[in-house]
Amino acid sequence: MPAADERIIAELGLRRERARSVCDYPNAIRAFSVICFLIVWEIYGRRVDPLLLTYPTAVVQAAWSLIKSGELPRQMLESLTTLAVAFGASVVLGVGFGLVMGRSRVVSAALEPHINALYATPQVALTPLLMMWFGLGFTVKAVVIFLFAFFPILINTASGVRNVSSSTIEVGRAYMASRRQILLKVVFPAAVPFIMAGIRLAIGRAIVGMVVAELFTAITGLGAMLTLYGNLFETAKMFVIVIVLGILGVVLVRATQTLERRMARWKETERAIE
Amino acid sequence: MALNALEQEALAEIELESTRPFRLADHLGLVRAVSVVAVISLWEYFGRDVNPLFLSYPSAIARAFVQLLGAGQFMQQARGSLEVYLAGLSAALVVGIVLGLLMGRYRLAEYLLDPFVYALDATPRVALIPILLLWFGLGAPAKIAVVFLSGVFPVLMNTFSGVRTVSAGLVEVGRAYGAREGKIFTKIIVPASLPFIMAGVRLAVGRALIGIITAEMFAAVTGLGALLVRYSSALATDKFFVPVIFLALLGVILTRAVELLEKRFAPWKETERAL
Repeated sequence: MPAADERIIAELGLRRERARSVCDYPNAIRAFSVICFLIVWEIYGRRVDPLLLTYPTAVVQAAWSLIKSGELPRQMLESLTTLAVAFGASVVLGVGFGLVMGRSRVVSAALEPHINALYATPQVALTPLLMMWFGLGFTVKAVVIFLFAFFPILINTASGVRNVSSSTIEVGRAYMASRRQILLKVVFPAAVPFIMAGIRLAIGRAIVGMVVAELFTAITGLGAMLTLYGNLFETAKMFVIVIVLGILGVVLVRATQTLERRMARWKETERAIE
Repeated sequence: MALNALEQEALAEIELESTRPFRLADHLGLVRAVSVVAVISLWEYFGRDVNPLFLSYPSAIARAFVQLLGAGQFMQQARGSLEVYLAGLSAALVVGIVLGLLMGRYRLAEYLLDPFVYALDATPRVALIPILLLWFGLGAPAKIAVVFLSGVFPVLMNTFSGVRTVSAGLVEVGRAYGAREGKIFTKIIVPASLPFIMAGVRLAVGRALIGIITAEMFAAVTGLGALLVRYSSALATDKFFVPVIFLALLGVILTRAVELLEKRFAPWKETERAL
């Protein structure tokens, strides 16, 4: 800093450093905020009728008893198995149909009206009909999750394939690549960023689908536990399940985000569909 | 295309077809129409053979549509649903935009609120429905709460990130011209983050619709969601499809309407955030 500046600073008595503010400690503020909330909840919650509202220590106790009895891990495994099977199916079919639709304008024109109609329909509304068709077991849950997750993957894959620059494909043709090779070695890798963005959107929706299906069928899984303890007015246990579902959501979405960054490092595009 | 004599000759020699062969790709509209007609007629044909308790067919659904719309009861339930929807959605928009602006502009507000916002946003909102029904009963307040919670987070998150992208230069120019905090908000921050806010509103409209249906299906007392449950447990499959189609159309119309608003109010920027 030149001497003149120094002199002016000294003359005017300006302070050198920015005034300290509470905002320099974001995590302290966050912790303070959360702790305040928990304390108020604890004090208030103990006074309210336990049928309506619970309090943090009771939730912790309930969580411990649900884990110890093995009920929570068992139901969670049940939910996650269904989720994995149905989500796997929607990834495979979504990417497969998406590739075909992206490559062929004829197929795309033939399927698009139906896909748009199904995608526009709130899938929740179809749950009662699906329950009538598939019963209350594993199948109906898998179908509901599939319907929730399939469309974002399909639509993203198709638009990713359409976005592949035609010059890349022409280069492939010029080097005598077969149709298969063009699809697998040129088109598919180029569409991966879109596909991954679709998968990230789909995982959140799949969890919603899982909860909806389990809430309504109410036989197995985390959603069924929610219905059960709701009917029993065991509020503390309901909160445990809500928190578990929240954590599950965060973990799965973070996992797909990491996967997305690894598999599609070179491209930052994504399409907002919802 | 004008061809010179040499080219004409060459064409004639190798007998290239001068007319293009028929290709399906040139008639996409036709393909689309054929596909829709084929699916509907197949559904009609086979649907009549299936037990009507399990699957209905298009003409029966159309008949049920006319019958239900004429009877008035359907419209009454739909109006009930829409009122709850509008109440919850407007609360979500107001709260979401205000909190988003505050959290985007003031770091203290951000740090105080963001643990709760992120935690609630990550929790599937449908999981909260049983608890909300416990607290608010089976009537309108519980449904308004569900719609509110479904709609508030997309708006809040988008507004927040919109405010964050407002360039500091704009705000400093405003300050240099002596604008007060209120003016900075209304004249600089809100207009600059409007495209983001509108994108959030568009997402919220769809989410809130799903919220109201789920809540009504779960409470099963009034509204379109309750009709869905009632018709499906009465095994009236043709009637069941009426609210489904109605809701799908409603969703499309509402989203289109917001898109039009978006183009009107925020035509200068095409950004959006994928939530």
